[in-house]
Amino acid sequence: MTNGWVDMKNTDMMLIMGGNPAENHPCGFKWAIEAKRTRSAKMISVDPRFTRTSAVADLFCQIRAGTDIAFLGGVIKYAIENNRIAKDYLIHFTNAAFVVEGDFKLPADTDGVFSGFDAERHSYNRASWNYSGGKPAQTASTAAGQSAAPPPLPPLPEKVDYDLTLENPNCVFQLLKKHYSRYTPEMVERITGIPKEEFQKAAELYTSIRKDGDMKKAGTIIYAVGWTQHSFGTQIIRTAAMLQLLLGNVGRAGGGVNALRGHSNIQGATDMAGLFDSLPGYLKVPTPADSSFDAWMKRTTPTTSKPAPWNSWNYYSNTPKFTVSFLKTMYGDAATKQNGWAYDYLPKVDRDYSWTHLWDNMYNGLIKGMFAFGMNGVAIGPDSKKNIDALKKAEFLVVGEIYPDETSEFWRSPGISQDEMKQIKTTVYRLPCAGFAEKDGSFTNSARWLLWKNAAVPTPGECRLDQAIVAQIFLKVRELYKKDGKFPDPILKLTWGYTDPKSPSLAEVLKELNGKALADLEDPATKAQIKAGQQLPGFAWLKDDGTTACGNWIYSGSFTEAGNQTARRDPSDPSNMGVHPGWGWSWPANRRVLYNRASCDVDGKPWDATRRQIWWNEGTEKWVGNDVPDFKADSHPKDHMGPFIMNAEGVGRIFAPLGAFADGPFPEYYEPFESPIQNPLHPERTNNPVVTGLKSADDKYGTVKDYPVVCTTFRLTEHYHYWTKNNPMNVQLVPEPFIEMGAEMANEMGIRGGEKVKVSSARGEYIAKAMVTKRIKAMMIDGKKTYQIGIPFHWGYRGIAEDEGKTERMMVNLLTPTIVDPNAHTPEFKGFLVKVEKA
Amino acid sequence: MSQATLRVQKMSGHAGSVPGDDAQREFTVCKLIDTTTCIGCKACEVACMEWNDLPFGETVFDNTYQTMPETRWNYWNLILFNEHEKEDGSLMWLMRKNQCMHCAEPGCLAACPADGAIVQYTNGIVDFQQANCIGCGYCITGCPFDIPKMNPKTNRVFKCTLCADRVSEGLEPACIKSCPTGCLHFGSKEDMKDLAEKRAKQLRDDYNFPQAGVYDPAGVGGTGVVYVLHDATRPELYGGLPSNPSIPWSVKLWKGPLKWLGNVAMVGGLIGLFVHYLRFGPKSREDEDIHPRGENP
Amino acid sequence: MNHSDQILSHGRILRYEFHERLTHWIAAGSYIYLMLTGLAFYSPWCFWIAALLGGGQVSRMLHPWAGLIFTGAILKMFSMWSAQMYPTGADKAWWDSIGHYIRNEDDQMPAAGRYNAGQKLLFWGFIICGVLLLLSGAILWFPEYVPWNLRFLRYLAVLIHPSAALLTIGLFLIHIYMSVFAERGAFGSIIRGDVSLAFAKRYHPGWYEEITGQPASPKK
Repeated sequence: MTNGWVDMKNTDMMLIMGGNPAENHPCGFKWAIEAKRTRSAKMISVDPRFTRTSAVADLFCQIRAGTDIAFLGGVIKYAIENNRIAKDYLIHFTNAAFVVEGDFKLPADTDGVFSGFDAERHSYNRASWNYSGGKPAQTASTAAGQSAAPPPLPPLPEKVDYDLTLENPNCVFQLLKKHYSRYTPEMVERITGIPKEEFQKAAELYTSIRKDGDMKKAGTIIYAVGWTQHSFGTQIIRTAAMLQLLLGNVGRAGGGVNALRGHSNIQGATDMAGLFDSLPGYLKVPTPADSSFDAWMKRTTPTTSKPAPWNSWNYYSNTPKFTVSFLKTMYGDAATKQNGWAYDYLPKVDRDYSWTHLWDNMYNGLIKGMFAFGMNGVAIGPDSKKNIDALKKAEFLVVGEIYPDETSEFWRSPGISQDEMKQIKTTVYRLPCAGFAEKDGSFTNSARWLLWKNAAVPTPGECRLDQAIVAQIFLKVRELYKKDGKFPDPILKLTWGYTDPKSPSLAEVLKELNGKALADLEDPATKAQIKAGQQLPGFAWLKDDGTTACGNWIYSGSFTEAGNQTARRDPSDPSNMGVHPGWGWSWPANRRVLYNRASCDVDGKPWDATRRQIWWNEGTEKWVGNDVPDFKADSHPKDHMGPFIMNAEGVGRIFAPLGAFADGPFPEYYEPFESPIQNPLHPERTNNPVVTGLKSADDKYGTVKDYPVVCTTFRLTEHYHYWTKNNPMNVQLVPEPFIEMGAEMANEMGIRGGEKVKVSSARGEYIAKAMVTKRIKAMMIDGKKTYQIGIPFHWGYRGIAEDEGKTERMMVNLLTPTIVDPNAHTPEFKGFLVKVEKA
Repeated sequence: MSQATLRVQKMSGHAGSVPGDDAQREFTVCKLIDTTTCIGCKACEVACMEWNDLPFGETVFDNTYQTMPETRWNYWNLILFNEHEKEDGSLMWLMRKNQCMHCAEPGCLAACPADGAIVQYTNGIVDFQQANCIGCGYCITGCPFDIPKMNPKTNRVFKCTLCADRVSEGLEPACIKSCPTGCLHFGSKEDMKDLAEKRAKQLRDDYNFPQAGVYDPAGVGGTGVVYVLHDATRPELYGGLPSNPSIPWSVKLWKGPLKWLGNVAMVGGLIGLFVHYLRFGPKSREDEDIHPRGENP
Repeated sequence: MNHSDQILSHGRILRYEFHERLTHWIAAGSYIYLMLTGLAFYSPWCFWIAALLGGGQVSRMLHPWAGLIFTGAILKMFSMWSAQMYPTGADKAWWDSIGHYIRNEDDQMPAAGRYNAGQKLLFWGFIICGVLLLLSGAILWFPEYVPWNLRFLRYLAVLIHPSAALLTIGLFLIHIYMSVFAERGAFGSIIRGDVSLAFAKRYHPGWYEEITGQPASPKK
């Protein structure tokens, strides 16, 4: 989230799309309700199904799963045409005025793709996706890696051409306007199935906060995996971000683009390099092409790019400080300037190690074994059968869990005969782990708040803490490396200075992440001093000369000399803005709303005097406020430093240049990989052009001819993933799996509620009872009557109901395809094709 | 609030005065349920189960999100889900937390014959004392909301206690504590009514619910649980909430006039017979005994 | 017609055979239990009775079973006696003279048969109320199984059950009074089964004539 859960109470308008927070985030949803109750805020729910969220929304639109870009693009068009945009914000805080290079082409002009498309490689040469302007003297790295790799991208211009009147036909704003002019209400209706009158009602309501150019109100966009789980998920979120920039909602209390994370600590997982292509704190991993530490830093440290008279902090120019401090944490004294801070010890990421590729690698015999902790890989899918088939070929599987689950018992999945079972050679180790209430540690919630928790109960029986298991495996591996390791240094020189090496305390780990001074330090401006060995107060102290260590720069400040900041529990909120500065700790630097400089106008005055976040204090010549300024504290407004300090431009990116995204600098609407129609915008280019399916025998994709129904998966508030099917309380609340289908569809098929139906996709089938409801209606998609169904996914073949034989012992992810988003590698769990029959 | 809230002001099947009656200056407690902000998350259902240590029961899929068709003796708090299509074709998914309404004039208590099996505390909470329950089920008939449920094994009746044990210690009921959206509130009846009316006004003024209002039916003397409804003119949309509930007429007749008539008749009859005996005596006197044993006329 | 075979060897008349007496006492016993426990449920003033009889739970548990026993006895009585209980023309005359009966002016009464009109009323009262009590009692026994949309049945039941019970109590009181206090010999008849000829002659002259073949009252 750019903002936070509590901040939702400050909003005037909520667009909830690709998420069902009432169902999946009922506790956080209290703040949405609070805004309704105290501010009479309005809520728009756009979803394939009328959900629990829709039940309390003021307007509901039933959308075809996966067509969100069309909807949002339509809203962008509506906002521009009806002048419901934040003009000043747009000019000064975004790149709307930047001029784009002349050879950049929009999909409208190039057969549904952007300029630079390489049809053979299914990828773009993104060189033309650049601003026009003065280039820096030096061009990008000279040595191209393998010949097969695309040519390296040019850098951003140092001085960007711009036009504050926004009239230059090649400026970002004009391109934006042109690009989305095709997203007419009629087009939105054809694609999404939302009648144009209803769509216009929604667009009118959402943009009403900028009626007559008034900047006081704020609107928020709230989403979850209903947006991410598509073959263009990143671009949906981009569209939302652009709309928010257009309306001047980013950085504002009650505004922002707010991702609701699906688990209590998913945010923490991504912060801590849960994705293969990042290091902790979202530092980019080195690749084999990065010949040295310096080459790596050169590639990953952005250079400033802005209109000449403006200013840009370009905070990521500090990347070397974050990286050196990280390597000092990893390798301690073994990381020296001479050896490039032990750069050679770091593994280099040579290919795609994302989720579906890992399973594909195992399926193809490249990966021999797996450690599965805190997740149920078989059930998670997509294409559970492929994952089961992959595990059959593995040599070993180690599962750390609190229940016997589908993954640890993959060999018992339905359809495997006794004989076949005997053929499976995989050795399975089951390690009983600690449940969340049996461990201490911190959760990082969707609002980026780190909240420390204590263990409530001891681990039962022979269960062990996860970190104890991992530590002991590491210590054992280190012993083996000592004996005869091929390149033992990365293992042997890894720092492991925990009081109990066999079970590191999580508080010590957090201290390590926060970082400490390795030498006496002094801030030249304030003369503040830190002694060697002391905890760092924050990432501003990080150095690239080896005098600081920090495991994750964005967590620096979480465990200081003042103690564990994440354990703070001061509920007070002096400004009554939902800041609660003494409650836990949020990254970065305990600021609660990101980019909050944008909550003020160019002169540093809050857009809304009743919701003051930060402001420029003329007397002290400092940015001050109720929140921690996300800005250079002494940058005078007349210096025109951009509020989006993490971008090289200093401004919000309506146009995302160069390598930012694999599939376009503007989001274009593409159909889901399995789609019931051809893309009405460009029938010859229906799907995301850079997305291709995997090639194994288990990767099958269906067409509308065989599979006419659009299917989406979802969760229930009564269950938590694949855990609570083991808990009698949750089982009592929702005892059995079901399939949600509209009354019209059910009538046509002669299915009554409670009767069993079989849903099949190109990959597998799923049988459960039908829930026939008025909450899903038939839709007209491009003139064709189309049905949608939804399936909650909480069941499998192990659990109370499963073990009692009350279910068909199937997993919904037997149906889902192994198609992923090209930027975030998230599979397309939503909006695939199925057929539905009576079972 | 203190333990003293557990003084009893009304008691079922009881002869004579009631200990707490007329002895307290306490305010009446009340639960406010704002159905317009309920998301049907069932946290209240779970909290109720957990706090009261209610045993699990079996449920089956019934084409709804509702946990079970109605409350059970071991399931006192149930959110009712109803899909309602409005005249304009738009859909409403109404969710109403159903439980004991804690009527000011409780039909269950009126109908109950067992001394002290049903009590009303001075704070207004209506509570079942299972130790005194005789299992007759009259409360089931007396209740206009279909709330009391019999445990067939023990033949005792159960229902929501408004967490009288928690309230007596100054805590809110478990359901209130667990509610994530704040659609549940707890406080004095006066405050809750005030809050409810304000919310209803907001719904009428700022949202598109011209019929929004508060449900606090007069037919049972008002309730210790009040609802804010999107459409207060049609409470039956919310899973059959009666629009004008009252103690069943027959219960009133039976526990009122009929009882007194019967009492008078029985006592009068006894007196009458005695007087008859005094006045006329037996039909035969000792001296004209008509059937000495063995007599042979 | 002469039924002198009903005159026993010791010169008394057999009024109730053993199975009739047994049925009566089964009915009586169950009725008294039903009445007492019923009264306990009926009024808080009488709830102490339940305590005496083992407590409210026990009373509530046994009351319907006792009701079934009572119903059985009533049905048996119906099969035994209903033929003799149909009203006759003489009953009308009897009711017309009820004032004499109350004032113990039995000689002013028209001759009654084996059962006088009052006894017939008692019989039919108990039969009809018994059926009502059975039906309403069944509902009250299992109120939780009566569906919500049929709840009017429960509403009727709670009214019918006590009303019918009150009627039977009235009949019962008169029955006890008459048989124990007013008519000496009546009580013995339901214990031993026989009555004296004088008893029959006085209280059931029609029956006396039927059995002995002699006129009961020379005056007439």
